[in-house]
Amino acid sequence: MKVKVNDVELDLAPGTSAIDAVFAAGYDVPYFCSQEYMSPIGACRMCLAVVGAPRKERDGSWTMDEATGQPKIFYFPNPMATCTTAIMEGMVIDTLSDVTKKAQGGMMEMHLINHPLDCPTCDKGGACELQDRAYEYGSGHSRFIFDKRHNEKHHALSELITLDRERCIHCKRCVRYFEEVPGDEVLDFIERGGHTFIGTVEEGLPSNFSGNITDICPVGALLDTTSRFRGRNWEYDHTRSTSLDDASGSAITIDARTGRIERIKAALNTQVNKNWIDDGTRFGHEYAASSDRIKTPMLRKNGKLEPVTWEEATLFISEKLKKLSDNQLGIALRSDATLEEGVAAKSLAEYLKTGQIDHYPRYASSVISANPASFNDLATAGAIFVMADATEEVPMVDLRIKDALKGVTPPTLMAHGVPIADLRLKERMPRKTNILSVAAPYRVDLMKYAAHSMVYPTGTEVEVLKQIIDASTDAGKALKESLSAAEKAVIVLGAFVLNSAEASKLADDLAKATGAKVMKLGAMANSFGLESQDVLPAKADYSYPNMLSGSAKALIVSGLNPAQNAEVAQALLKLELLVVHDLFENETTALAHVVLPAKSGYEKEGTVVNLEGRYLNVNPAPVDGGQAVDFTGFVKELGDALNERLEGRSVRSARRLLKKSLELDLSELPLEGTIASAKAGKVAGLKTNTSGNALLVPSMVRSEYLNRNAHLFASTGGNALRLHPADAASHNLSAHDVISVSVGGFKRRLSVQPSESVPEGMMLLPALPDQPVGLVQLDLNSIKKEQVALEVA
Amino acid sequence: MVELETLKPFFAERQDVLNEILGRYPDYGRRSAVMPLLWEVQREERQVNEARIHEIAEILGIQPTEVKGVMSFYSTYHEHAIGKYHLQICSTLACSLAGSDEMYDFISEETGLVNGETDRQGLFSIQKVECLGSCTTAPVLQVNDTYYERVGKSRCQTLLEAFRRGEMPEPWRERYGDNEGAEKAKPLQNTIKTGGNA
Repeated sequence: MKVKVNDVELDLAPGTSAIDAVFAAGYDVPYFCSQEYMSPIGACRMCLAVVGAPRKERDGSWTMDEATGQPKIFYFPNPMATCTTAIMEGMVIDTLSDVTKKAQGGMMEMHLINHPLDCPTCDKGGACELQDRAYEYGSGHSRFIFDKRHNEKHHALSELITLDRERCIHCKRCVRYFEEVPGDEVLDFIERGGHTFIGTVEEGLPSNFSGNITDICPVGALLDTTSRFRGRNWEYDHTRSTSLDDASGSAITIDARTGRIERIKAALNTQVNKNWIDDGTRFGHEYAASSDRIKTPMLRKNGKLEPVTWEEATLFISEKLKKLSDNQLGIALRSDATLEEGVAAKSLAEYLKTGQIDHYPRYASSVISANPASFNDLATAGAIFVMADATEEVPMVDLRIKDALKGVTPPTLMAHGVPIADLRLKERMPRKTNILSVAAPYRVDLMKYAAHSMVYPTGTEVEVLKQIIDASTDAGKALKESLSAAEKAVIVLGAFVLNSAEASKLADDLAKATGAKVMKLGAMANSFGLESQDVLPAKADYSYPNMLSGSAKALIVSGLNPAQNAEVAQALLKLELLVVHDLFENETTALAHVVLPAKSGYEKEGTVVNLEGRYLNVNPAPVDGGQAVDFTGFVKELGDALNERLEGRSVRSARRLLKKSLELDLSELPLEGTIASAKAGKVAGLKTNTSGNALLVPSMVRSEYLNRNAHLFASTGGNALRLHPADAASHNLSAHDVISVSVGGFKRRLSVQPSESVPEGMMLLPALPDQPVGLVQLDLNSIKKEQVALEVA
Repeated sequence: MVELETLKPFFAERQDVLNEILGRYPDYGRRSAVMPLLWEVQREERQVNEARIHEIAEILGIQPTEVKGVMSFYSTYHEHAIGKYHLQICSTLACSLAGSDEMYDFISEETGLVNGETDRQGLFSIQKVECLGSCTTAPVLQVNDTYYERVGKSRCQTLLEAFRRGEMPEPWRERYGDNEGAEKAKPLQNTIKTGGNA
């Protein structure tokens, strides 16, 4: 459709909004209420412009202007909100006329009437849409001589989000966001007219994606409590990176100031997370700035760890290593290590002639699918079968599934990026819940949005999948048929399936039989990458659990804390050398000969591969980590002590190696990453428990760091032991009791949360990297109440 | 120790009313029933407290926040119990010009209440409301569902005295109109149940 914006003529797709036409033409109109990926509603009336269009006669010809001989333009009687106006053939949009300017200036003045103008003390100052637009379109002085409306300034909507009701300009972005994006209507306008404010009846915004409203708020009304009053926007170093919290590879912006991370915001990756991130990713950064981080290498001298230089530490390690024969050293990385770290670990293992190298946690079967689904496949799927707790494993999968329920395909990018007002999106769109089927061993969050859900007894994944493949039950038959019938079907497999090689195999068979694509949710951020780079043991006996139980004489572990298990701790005592590369002192560092400071996921430079097989760059934020290095740094220091220039001694060196094998230059990846095909690795050697009275479940919030994430801790109440109320009563536990308990040899501190969503006879607790998802025995006799919940009389 | 009385679900004993209301809307428009349900509760209990908000949300399968959002939009619904005599003073233009501000001041002084308050005995609530549609006979005072027109100071005094005696004077209407609308309030009872949080 031909459209003219001021003096620029454009040819745009029908259905485009007028505001996008203006931006595509390179002009600007102010707006507050429109937001990428959300419905345009025309609430703020800022994007007013003079708009006109030609008219057709009854015979279909244009009504002509006699003076010019051109089709006559009929202007709308008033300036139009361009965000809710769709373009028409021959439309003329005028954003520069005096009428437009006056209308926009008038609206600006109206928005500022009740705004407190406390920019000097506002966290949004310097990055505030209202502030920017007031400079650009405001008059610069106020004619409002009356008292401004006063309202609550520090209203805690939840432990994580603070609302300043005076600053709110009622753009409705946050209210719409909750309804349209995660589908949890937990925020609404209360009262009306000049008294309107946003509020909630629920306690603490029960949504897994509540933090996004702090990003989209055009003013400083909704603020991230973890970063409130911590710094001004222009003082922050903004680093665009990739989240290492889960396997989605969501884009984030790390805001750091004076060597400390203050805030994580969502960054735009149109292919992965769009504009959104989950609360675990957003608010779970405080641990990185914790004061008890290990900042120097430490060496055990006379039974005590003492700070030493890197040279002394690596010299000690190299001397010990020289005494080892082949295949005696074990090297284990946590599964969120970058590809470069994986390469470094592999080259070190090669040099030291050991086949005992592994990443952990990982599953008994591969996380690399033969027919992988991308996030966009998921968002446009016609049938989705989720066999996972997707919301907790990879929250972004949950959000993109909700895109599919709306049935609106991801928008086509325009010259200025994502369309600002996508007219296909509406408030309260009907959701196609019947395309979604969810199966899990307990009630998961996604079941609320699914027409078909199934809670099966823990550990019966194989039987469930057989029922579907054989179409032996009605539900199974219906599901198989809907997967086969849909043009695009996606099967999402999580830990419960991937933990069993047999179930995985069946799920792959189901995918083949129905033609569905498969999305496998990796255990951690780089599970896919480390498997594809073959950071795996040379033979099954050399897997990480075997290393711990005696196959290794010396051990280098990065990011893992195996000594939480008392039995393993005993075994570790026998090692000739135990090197721990980690952020914090823990049970394993207490046994280690050498402790090395590690970098957190926000400080690393490297590459990760998300669950789609997309290579994404991780960029380092300027954070004070002392002498911390990542695993490539450790390999360099160790190489120096061994007088050897090892491959993978730096990110650059590792990328040189990877360039040869991948034919991909990882230092020149586009912002949105590159998908490359990968083959499944030879995963083997992991046994999973098939019995137990408790189930370790995935958790969106990283349970290993929860104690150091004060705000998340307050909001979640700590790691929870969820069990059926009847079970709670029979174990003499009540809600909010804090207990310590031995779970599969690990001592865990948990807060009791009775919940109807847990099947009777089963207890759920969050998994740890060292105690991954699966069945486990919880020793009921070992329960000790540390804090008893206050009883209300 | 405070004995907390468990609030019985409002619609538990009114299944027929509930079914009738829900029957007015198609399944996909179930949420539309939020208004009649709120009104049913408000009419009966003279308030819609938080427990009722949660109950309605559950009936309709929506979030309580949404019910609260709708409810708070209308001045007809009250979060806390209103008094036996709900004095609604029209404060839109015509009444304002004819002296509704003076009427408000007078009532406020007499009762010791300001806009939005209810006295401790649960006798009076006062509220400024928008146009009551009787501009020719301004200023207008609506007490519960009854109109009193051209309420000057002396009339106002008479009215308040009558209310204090527990009487409900006949409506003062100059023109047509009736007070027997379809949604007439239930007759007042001597004891007003205040529900959970009042």
